[in-house]
Amino acid sequence: MATPLANIIRFLTAGITTVSFVAAINFIIDPLQLFWHHGVFYAYTADSRLQNAGLIRSQDYNAVLMGTSLSVHLRPSDVNRTFGVRAVKLAMSGSDSVEQRFVLDVAMARRPALVFWELDDRTFFESPAIDENKFIRPDLYRRNLKGIIGYLLDLDITRESFFIALSAIKPFKAIAHGLAAAQYLKFYGDEVDEIGTLPATTDLSAIYNAGSIRAAFATAEKYPKEIYFRYNYQTLVRNFERDFISIIRDHPETKFCVFVPPYSILQFVTIRDVSPEALQTIYDFSAYAFPRLLSLPNVTLFDFRVAQDITHDLDNYMDLLHYRPMVDQRVLSLLAGGKYRVTRAAPSDSIERLARQVATFDTATMRPHAVQPTSDAGGPGCR
Amino acid sequence: MLFNSYQFIFLFLPIVWAGYFALGRLSKNASIIWLALASLLFYSASNWQFVALLSLSVTFNYLIGSLLIRAKLDPTPRSAMLATGVSTNLVLLGYFKYAGFLVANLNQMLGVQLTLNILLPVGISFYTFTQIAFLVDAYRGEVSRYDLPVYTLFVTYFPHLIAGPIIHHKDIIPQFERGGGKMVGLHLVLCGLIIFAIGLFKKTCLADGIQPYVSLAFGSEVPSFHAAWLGALAYTFQLYFDFSGYSDMAIGISLTFGVFLPLNFNSPYKAASIIDFWRCWHMTLSQFLRDYLYIPLGGNRRGRTLRYVNLMITMALGGLWHGAAWTFVAWGVLHGLYLCGNHFWNAVRPDLPSLSGRISGIAGATLTFVAVVVAWVFFRANDMVSALTILSKMAAPAHEQLSYREMLAGLFVFCYALIAWFAPNTQTIMGYDHYNRRVGEGLIRFSERPVFVYVAAALLGFGILGIQQHSEFIYFRF
Repeated sequence: MATPLANIIRFLTAGITTVSFVAAINFIIDPLQLFWHHGVFYAYTADSRLQNAGLIRSQDYNAVLMGTSLSVHLRPSDVNRTFGVRAVKLAMSGSDSVEQRFVLDVAMARRPALVFWELDDRTFFESPAIDENKFIRPDLYRRNLKGIIGYLLDLDITRESFFIALSAIKPFKAIAHGLAAAQYLKFYGDEVDEIGTLPATTDLSAIYNAGSIRAAFATAEKYPKEIYFRYNYQTLVRNFERDFISIIRDHPETKFCVFVPPYSILQFVTIRDVSPEALQTIYDFSAYAFPRLLSLPNVTLFDFRVAQDITHDLDNYMDLLHYRPMVDQRVLSLLAGGKYRVTRAAPSDSIERLARQVATFDTATMRPHAVQPTSDAGGPGCR
Repeated sequence: MLFNSYQFIFLFLPIVWAGYFALGRLSKNASIIWLALASLLFYSASNWQFVALLSLSVTFNYLIGSLLIRAKLDPTPRSAMLATGVSTNLVLLGYFKYAGFLVANLNQMLGVQLTLNILLPVGISFYTFTQIAFLVDAYRGEVSRYDLPVYTLFVTYFPHLIAGPIIHHKDIIPQFERGGGKMVGLHLVLCGLIIFAIGLFKKTCLADGIQPYVSLAFGSEVPSFHAAWLGALAYTFQLYFDFSGYSDMAIGISLTFGVFLPLNFNSPYKAASIIDFWRCWHMTLSQFLRDYLYIPLGGNRRGRTLRYVNLMITMALGGLWHGAAWTFVAWGVLHGLYLCGNHFWNAVRPDLPSLSGRISGIAGATLTFVAVVVAWVFFRANDMVSALTILSKMAAPAHEQLSYREMLAGLFVFCYALIAWFAPNTQTIMGYDHYNRRVGEGLIRFSERPVFVYVAAALLGFGILGIQQHSEFIYFRF
């Protein structure tokens, strides 16, 4: 008969063996491709805060795309085609400037030649330090022991590994996709280019249409979101300097193509109506940020907030901010062409034009009171 | 510090355990002081700002208790002494737990804008109740003299400190005094580790596994009929596996030190009536409320009407003990009504033959389960409006197509229900007998069939792998 001590040893040994076995599976399948790119078992997740740690390791890139949900639908292949680069997309929905700086900092170790960086003033709101952010795993990016062990000894990753392996057998692929549709699995994408993009079968006009944005506008005017009251000039400037400027300044060898995305005009009209102070802070912040960015020689800056042909066409939007993938294509071509570029000679031009557009927009007719000048001349694009 | 954390499992617990038994060979007092200090360290890891409060509370109650035990006082000053002790505890609990609630209600009623931000010291509800019981028993003359280190350990003993089980001095202190780390009980260590493994698996794999589906009902959007039911059921099982998992871990850890903690759960969702449910759910709280509130109020000794009144008071206060919000009061009141209804039915129901008795047993179990699920909606909802919205959706069947996520949630709920209804519970598997201080006698046979040990080890392994999620235990906030 085994003694209690023998059973304790047996129990602990078996426990350690179980853990080691699971860690070995996670190491071999390696859903994030942190250790190798074996090409047999692989899948990608749209959880970009997790996936980015792997993409930075596994992708061969010389250009980086960083931003928020406004940039997650972009396809790296479109960027590659337009600019002749090998791009990796690291945009994260709802990301703040602390997250963006942290992830971009890790990606910069590969010394990309070009960085496309969406400038969204809301990312500079007060946000937690990276190690206190529960949505991201900083140690996975740092590749320290804690991060690696945490990755290998993670039951969620084990589940993903199991289904990635199973998906190599065709009939199980459908099951895995079903479980992904049920939000049980994260890793299900086949192509790195399609991470975060909308499926080809998506009925875009059902999502992006004037009806959707009008409804969003009506709700926002009736029940103003708390976010409209969080604009604080000092905070925006401090975090902008800390998280945005510092990286650009520290990497003079890299060109930074910074762009303010084409939010719908109704975004600013809403803020005009519910919190005029916030609107003034937005203008003031732009007035600070634009010359500051343009004082750095490796920055090209675009302000698409004044791209009236996009921002005033309500069929482009699903809500006040998010636009259809066709606008992504247009943004890329504008970045390449140079239209709406902010010049060092007149850094506040676009801000003044935006202020005029917002002030004269009539919500009854959903048109401007008066025809606005359409001078969009900028300069050379990002190359 | 969480039981489900690497630092607890791989650092804190082995060091404290080794120190306890190493010092126990030298002196019983040394090992008791070591364990008490380790418990304070455990508490301070996440609540350092309240260690002083805990220490003051222990010292104050020890002094009052000692006076009640030793001093030969007349009945009046003796009662005054007890009243001082109990009211000080309640004032402290009231300040930290209920002052904010009171201010919020005053603001609403009077239209003023008073602000009061008070952090809730973790475990205060548990250590306050433990010590009130001690004072009341000291007053009744049911407590023998205890040394300060033993008393301190009794209150701060880390396996129970944060979220119970609520322990009783008569049950626990003699175990410390007898044991004191003199000898390692290897059989108890093995059983403790297995019970801990089961608890860890329940928490990190089962409770945390179903947690994502709770938002179907309690998310930011108004749920559909199916989503409301699935979310409420998911929460029903999450709460059970979370809290019973925590209790198992506490019992298992304590067992490795040679101390038997009381059971807190006995398959409550198998209960055939609401009375039965309260005998099986959070048993140590039920016993406390019965012994120190319901019976002192008069219990069932003054007629049926007063019994119902006492039940309602006990359950409403029991609800409020869980948290300073009207939703908890509503939860308690609802269970009070359930209990009154159950007692009334028992008094008037006709005698049934055995076959129909079995059918009525199944009907009773089903009704009890549904009633409990409905009450959990109040327990979990952010506010009364949300709770009533969810309940209104649950009461309005609709022909809606289930989404993939809802289908999967349904599968989860089904599997969890099978475990909760048909699987043996931890104490049955382990033969844990708290009163007779027996455990794992069946394991002597199992040792010849090591597969049991291997299955338990796999549970430990998967429990450790599930730690990544770092979720707190739900009952920490009470």
